[in-house]
Amino acid sequence: MEAYLLAIAIFVAIFTLLTLGLNLQYGLTGLTNFGLVGFFGIGAYASAILTTHGYPVVAGFAAGAALAVIAAWPIGLVALRLRDDYFAIATLGLSEVVRVAIISEKELTAGVQGIPGIPRLFAVLESRTWQPLLLLAVLVAANLGVVLVMRRIARSPFGRVIGAIRDNEEAVRALGKDPARFKTQVLMVGAGLSAVAGSFYAHYVGYVTPDQITPLVTFQIWMAMILGGTGRISGAVLGTLLLMLLIEGARFLPDLLPFVSSTAMAELRVFVVGLALVLFTVYRPQGLMGEVARR
Amino acid sequence: MSLEISRLVKAYGPIRVTDDVSFTVPAGGLVGLIGPNGAGKSTLFSLVTGFLAPDSGSVSLDGRSLDRTGPAERARRGLVRTFQVPREFSHLTVRDNLMAAAPGQAGETLGALFLLPGRVRREEEALRRRVEEMMAFLKLDRVAEVPAGNLSGGQKKLVELGRALMTGARTILLDEPFAGVNPVLIEEISARVRELNARGIGFLVIEHDLAALSRLVTTLHVLDRGRLIAGGPPAAVLADPAVRDAYLGGAS
Repeated sequence: MEAYLLAIAIFVAIFTLLTLGLNLQYGLTGLTNFGLVGFFGIGAYASAILTTHGYPVVAGFAAGAALAVIAAWPIGLVALRLRDDYFAIATLGLSEVVRVAIISEKELTAGVQGIPGIPRLFAVLESRTWQPLLLLAVLVAANLGVVLVMRRIARSPFGRVIGAIRDNEEAVRALGKDPARFKTQVLMVGAGLSAVAGSFYAHYVGYVTPDQITPLVTFQIWMAMILGGTGRISGAVLGTLLLMLLIEGARFLPDLLPFVSSTAMAELRVFVVGLALVLFTVYRPQGLMGEVARR
Repeated sequence: MSLEISRLVKAYGPIRVTDDVSFTVPAGGLVGLIGPNGAGKSTLFSLVTGFLAPDSGSVSLDGRSLDRTGPAERARRGLVRTFQVPREFSHLTVRDNLMAAAPGQAGETLGALFLLPGRVRREEEALRRRVEEMMAFLKLDRVAEVPAGNLSGGQKKLVELGRALMTGARTILLDEPFAGVNPVLIEEISARVRELNARGIGFLVIEHDLAALSRLVTTLHVLDRGRLIAGGPPAAVLADPAVRDAYLGGAS
């Protein structure tokens, strides 16, 4: 049971990094990024490929983040000229391009089979109890660092301008500032962060496959952000935790409802999570952490 | 800083919403623009500030052409507009609305934010003092901490004016600054515009409240169905039969 809780805590910590990145992009800036998982996938595969070829772990993290940031840059140039809804579709398309490219590029990525045998982090610690604990500690520290950086950004002159962009982009332009510069930077920071989350994920799970980077992941992160409270940094953390509790909690449904068949149960789990989200948006649209406003 | 508008044309299909319009807002001028609904006044503002591209014609500021520049660049050169329907940053406080408009803040780049925190802090303190003065000047100091989305229509108009001033604009285009504003506040806004004009800031003002506008401006231009039909001192323009015709429903 402890091992199970520890595993959940590690997943929460990994996905919180993604939620924090999305919150910067959508919550604080209003960028409808539906392609989050693409950057996550870039990080996961960069780490998987490099470390299974004998490169150090750090190289995987760095290469993943760098690639994701570089991939975000042209989106900044091209896609940011699109209106909100088209931008959302373009980013969704991009993440699918990443996935299909991974499936097709068999030599490097092994296609649909995926890459197994990715070394665990801190594997020098032979102990099965201390290794995950140390990983969790590192993840918590990373999240804390990211939260501090996000707060610094949100309360800064930069944060003021991205908040202004979220509220009215035309007016920002009318005042002599180029929204595209700010949006590109926000996109790049979020992309790098998503890639780091992907690297952690690859090392923790130990293998990567294209199935892990479907748009479903993106939308789960969206759910986490909305549950926590869009635009609230603390909400990103709590929302991810709540979502994971819902998803994992639904695992115990079979014990409560033994008369439901196991195939129906799989669908019921998705239903429970969806129902929770609907109830949340109806009765608490501002999310756990309150006001849709800012900070 | 004089703004020259020269032979601007903008058509949507067969309809010329701006039809060969030319006039000048002299440096430090106070010029009004009137016309019935649909005459093309707001379109003209968008053409002048670069939000729309004209089919032909040009706009220049102090003799320098603006034709190849976008709205942000025009604003940086000192030409700033407000909007007919206020576009306040609704979730930002009034103070933050004004602070967000100030140009050249180091803290607006991520690099400086994390590498030069001392400089960012000093700039913020200086900017905050300037914004306090601006809010006092516009009598917005009592709502400094209120999200701008919660303000009255008239206060939003003042926030937009304040933002334009914070950019350091030398020519400001006001789109219906009195619309939906109570009479007391109209006089208040007029008084501020006069004071700013006395300090050398030029204004071009679209307004339907002809009485208040003619008290404010020294020159009035009239736009009807895309064309300028009159221009000159307000009293003379308002007495012009062609202008009265245009306003009485344009039965011609």
